[in-house]
Amino acid sequence: MGFLWTGTWILVLVLQSSPIQAFPKPGGSQEKPLHNRELSAERPLNEQIAEAEADKIKKTYPPENKPGESNYSFVDNLNLLKAITEKEKTEKEKQSIRSSPYDNKLNVEDADSTKNRRLIDDYDSTKSGLNHKFQDDPDGLHQLDGTPLTAEDIVQKIATRIYEENDRGVFDKIVSKLLNLGLITESQAHTLEDEVAEVLQKLISKEANTYEEEPNKPTSVTESQAGKIPEKVTPMATIQDGFTNGQNDETVSNTLTLTNGLERRTKIYNEDNFEELQYFPNFYALLKSIDSEKEAKEKETLITIMKTLIDFVKMMVKYGTISPEEGVSYLENLDETIALQTKNKLEKNVTDNKSKLFPAPSEKSHEETDSTKEEAAKMEKEYGTLKDSTKDDNPRGKTDEPKGKTEAYLEAIRKNIEWLKKHNKKGNKEDYDLSKMRDFINQQADAYVEKGILDEEEADAIKRIYSSL
Amino acid sequence: MAAQGGRALLALCGALVACGWLLGAGAQEPGAPAAGMRRRRRLQQEDGISFEYHRYPELREALVSVWLQCTAISRIYTVGRSFEGRELLVIELSDNPGVHEPGEPEFKYIGNMHGNEAVGRELLIFLAQYLCNEYQKGNETIVKLIHSTRIHIMPSLNPDGFEKAASQPGELKDWFVGRSNAQGIDLNRNFPDLDRIVYVNEKEGGPNNHLLKNLKKIVDQNTKLAPETKAIIHWIMDIPFVLSANLHGGDLVANYPYDETRTGSAHEYSSCPDDAIFQSLARAYSSFNPPMSDPKRPPCRKNDDDSSFIDGTTNGAAWYSVPGGMQDFNYLSSNCFEITVELSCEKFPPEETLKSYWEDNKNSLISYLEQIHRGVKGFVRDLQGNPIANATISVEGIDHDVTSAKDGDYWRLLVPGNYKLTASAPGYLAITKKVAVPYSPAVGVDFELESFSERKEEEKEELMEWWKMMSETLNF
Repeated sequence: MGFLWTGTWILVLVLQSSPIQAFPKPGGSQEKPLHNRELSAERPLNEQIAEAEADKIKKTYPPENKPGESNYSFVDNLNLLKAITEKEKTEKEKQSIRSSPYDNKLNVEDADSTKNRRLIDDYDSTKSGLNHKFQDDPDGLHQLDGTPLTAEDIVQKIATRIYEENDRGVFDKIVSKLLNLGLITESQAHTLEDEVAEVLQKLISKEANTYEEEPNKPTSVTESQAGKIPEKVTPMATIQDGFTNGQNDETVSNTLTLTNGLERRTKIYNEDNFEELQYFPNFYALLKSIDSEKEAKEKETLITIMKTLIDFVKMMVKYGTISPEEGVSYLENLDETIALQTKNKLEKNVTDNKSKLFPAPSEKSHEETDSTKEEAAKMEKEYGTLKDSTKDDNPRGKTDEPKGKTEAYLEAIRKNIEWLKKHNKKGNKEDYDLSKMRDFINQQADAYVEKGILDEEEADAIKRIYSSL
Repeated sequence: MAAQGGRALLALCGALVACGWLLGAGAQEPGAPAAGMRRRRRLQQEDGISFEYHRYPELREALVSVWLQCTAISRIYTVGRSFEGRELLVIELSDNPGVHEPGEPEFKYIGNMHGNEAVGRELLIFLAQYLCNEYQKGNETIVKLIHSTRIHIMPSLNPDGFEKAASQPGELKDWFVGRSNAQGIDLNRNFPDLDRIVYVNEKEGGPNNHLLKNLKKIVDQNTKLAPETKAIIHWIMDIPFVLSANLHGGDLVANYPYDETRTGSAHEYSSCPDDAIFQSLARAYSSFNPPMSDPKRPPCRKNDDDSSFIDGTTNGAAWYSVPGGMQDFNYLSSNCFEITVELSCEKFPPEETLKSYWEDNKNSLISYLEQIHRGVKGFVRDLQGNPIANATISVEGIDHDVTSAKDGDYWRLLVPGNYKLTASAPGYLAITKKVAVPYSPAVGVDFELESFSERKEEEKEELMEWWKMMSETLNF
């Protein structure tokens, strides 16, 4: 009995004391990821210089950038961007330490880099042969006439490369590597992306415009683009200034939202690209009608969608998948579509105010968040119509219908598959069995044909869609 | 990232090309950019619901789309053909489509019985799409409904009439064109007039429910019945429907039995035994429809007499006498309780108004669906646990019985209160149970009935026991 008591007491004591033991707490101090190191003037200069030197040593300059050659190594791109950031860094350094006694060190830097001159020579594609002026340009960041390459030009180069390679992944790789090495901050990476994207777009539209036959559009589009360019210089200049002021991150983050690359690009475009969008009067009207304060997000989304669609069409024309006339008519259709959608949206707003009895918030927010999906689905349908215009001309009205119907069926099937996949995942069941589904559908389709619920054609179409999944 | 956007676009392009190729066979078209009527259709959509009139092909297409989107919970079938050969299509929504799960109540919505009363037809198409969408979104109310009910939706009982009405040029449609079926029969006057019979039975004694039993053969041989009417009657006999609504147009009210006056006069409140629950059911619809339940709403037409309308509901006969209607036929030939809902002052309103009719009726349609889960429900079995089909369940104080279905399951809609329920079947001893019924959900009450022969056996055994005991005691 005594034992029992002692035992219990010991137990009680132990239990009481254990809370006193502090459990290891999760690390309160979050280590700042390497790539968020700020290149501010506050950082010890030594460190910055040492870093710069280390980078220079790492650099291996690429072979000549031959036009038409498409197999650039990853390192080439990496170095190009290193060069850019270098340039920015050195500019900033120069500003902040102009009067510093460390000038000598900088000179030493330059002197060191001349050792690598030979490789640098080959960097600039615009030159035809060795140019003495390049001896003074260790980074390859000067143009033919010796004027320093602006960030603009560099961006242009990147964009051209991406355009020729037709792979934006190029850019992604470069940026991620740079971030990992801590050579640029996230916001700088974003800015870069934006700039490159802008230039890329111009390239694409320029190409597309050379194909467009309609006299008015190409010239006016290029005009508006030309109008854009001087505007673009201003923000870029301010950004550059921002960098040199050493407050790059703050300024940049203030002017750009860091959430979504597309959205940010859209925001910059907000004011500037309204000119281009003038060619879509209904869209323009719709944008104007949206209250900027309240529905900024919606506005952004709309603009993004529009830009994406335009890009898409331009790319299609460029690659010859559709003819320029089709591209133009598609864009015209789009505008019409928007006109109608706007009208319906207005109607909806009126009726929405009526019924408050049965709150269905999920429905409403689903609509909003799915505006992009709807647009995409719309685009899908529009494109589907467009695609078939390359085939023979048939009488309109009748054939329009089956196309609309099959699209509707396709959409319904897509939703079904989506739901089934999601549903099965949630239930932790085995992966949703497509072949079983296919069999079931085939069976049902046949049964329905027998009963007169489906015609043969429809059943075949449905079976075909399922078999293609 | 913009890069991903670009890749997504390319992928989409690729998918579209694939699809375009797949669907290309036989579907060439010039891709006319002009906004034709059909293309416009795609644009008035909201969550896949296109708010416009559906002719027969579009109706079929819409139902097929719902089925394709929700294959797990839907099934399309047909109850027969109209006079001109159009299928009377029904879409069924339930967690196990095509199957009656024991204990799961069956519900039906029927629209467009008068071909020119078009709003009901469209609302039912919208409803089917809506239920599918909401189910997939995980809307709890809808998921629960679909898992616990078997919902049958027939957008049009008179597709021939609709085609006639819809083919009229211009927006103003005639009050009568397209109302009747292709033979000129008004389907809502074409059902066997069971009201007459029940009124006689009330006076002279006789059953008050399932009056068709003896007449089934006669129905099949009756040449005066339209093919649509016959199809519906068979449908009602086949499936143990519990609750139903019949959608019309031309006014704005929820109408309940009886439709025919007892005395034969033009207007007279003629209540049925279940007047209380019917009022509740009608109100469950009208109260969620703002214009319908608006007491200050002026009548549809200046000289209309809507004095019988209360809270957007009315007794049928009090409004005006209708003999041979489908609503009363349901009540008197089967277990199904049906009301008639008039959805719109205008029978065939302009297409642009359809969306607002949907908004007005959406909640009512769902609310009425939920009414099926009220009152008492359960199983009638024998002592071995086998179901007893066609057992009678009667409620003390309500002169209308219901019967159990093939699996012994029954459902009895009741307003809240205390009741005595009696289950009985031929060859079995009846059992009575007391039940307290709330507004909802339905209370489960099961019955285990003892057959006569079993009781006889019991009694015999008891007798033998007694005899044995006696003989032992008295030393026989």
